[in-house]
Amino acid sequence: MIVCVAVVGHQNNPLYLQSFTAADDALKLHHIIHCSLDVVDERVNNPKKSGPTLNETFLGMLYPTENYKVYGYLTNTKVKFLMVTTDLEVKDADVRSFFRKFHAAFVDAVSNPFHVPGKKITSKIFAERISGIVKSFGSVTAG
Amino acid sequence: MGREVAESCIDGVIIEMVSAYCNRFYGSKPELAARRIEAIGYQVGHQLIERYTMERPRFSDHLEAIKFICKDFWSELFKKHIDNLKTNHRGTFVLQDNKFRWLTRVSIDPSSENLEASQDSPVLTPEHKVEVTSMHLYFPCGIIRGALSNLGIPCAVSADISNLPACKLHLDFGDNKNFPPRMLPE
Repeated sequence: MIVCVAVVGHQNNPLYLQSFTAADDALKLHHIIHCSLDVVDERVNNPKKSGPTLNETFLGMLYPTENYKVYGYLTNTKVKFLMVTTDLEVKDADVRSFFRKFHAAFVDAVSNPFHVPGKKITSKIFAERISGIVKSFGSVTAG
Repeated sequence: MGREVAESCIDGVIIEMVSAYCNRFYGSKPELAARRIEAIGYQVGHQLIERYTMERPRFSDHLEAIKFICKDFWSELFKKHIDNLKTNHRGTFVLQDNKFRWLTRVSIDPSSENLEASQDSPVLTPEHKVEVTSMHLYFPCGIIRGALSNLGIPCAVSADISNLPACKLHLDFGDNKNFPPRMLPE
């Protein structure tokens, strides 16, 4: 199950941050997201460690904590997508397709002429789409 | 598949936008009109590049990004590639399109001068015509500047139309980061 997703701009400014847990642990999740930004920078500046394919948008698992795994994705426009999950066994392909859908939703949201670049995404449609993607991710891995 | 729009509608919208800014909104201030049109182009380019680079790996250097603009981005916009790309290896690139799609209907041919004079339409001097045509170039310049700056490459873009319908676009990255943020009319 995905517990938290985030979109972070090229100056590490938060564009969208949403947790999907009933419990009151949003602050903890945001802290994890915050910490993982350093890992993203590290991966990008030392590309040798990030696997065989250079400059791929999908960054793979950034780091595991006791209960969570953090995955990252970095676009050409230096926008970072982060995802925190509690699943222990996660297929790479699932995460890739999750991020692809996430990115498509983001592109549609920023193409809105009323969206101001660099500001938070306030679109309700975007929020609905993201929670839909998050829910479908859980059902795919469970099934 | 994405939704499609007739090309003539796009042409019409762009021509109408340029004429609205130049004549109706900022009739007396062409510099201001140019900056507004360029700003619209900037936003369009900023949004388009996000969409068109979605399925590809990140660029490793500036040249790769410019090649992307010349090939993929250009064929998305104009269904053709840039015809010629030159660089002085010191931060200036010249992109040449021999048949720039948005200028193929523009004519500043002096032989049509007599025809126009006989009609009611106001007579335009050749200099004035060049000025009117150059107004149509602020939008594509803005698109390129917006696209590149969203890729993290700030630059100044200017256009040169000495022989229509060919169009030369000068991209200036300047090794210092202090070049003017907006293109200014010459």
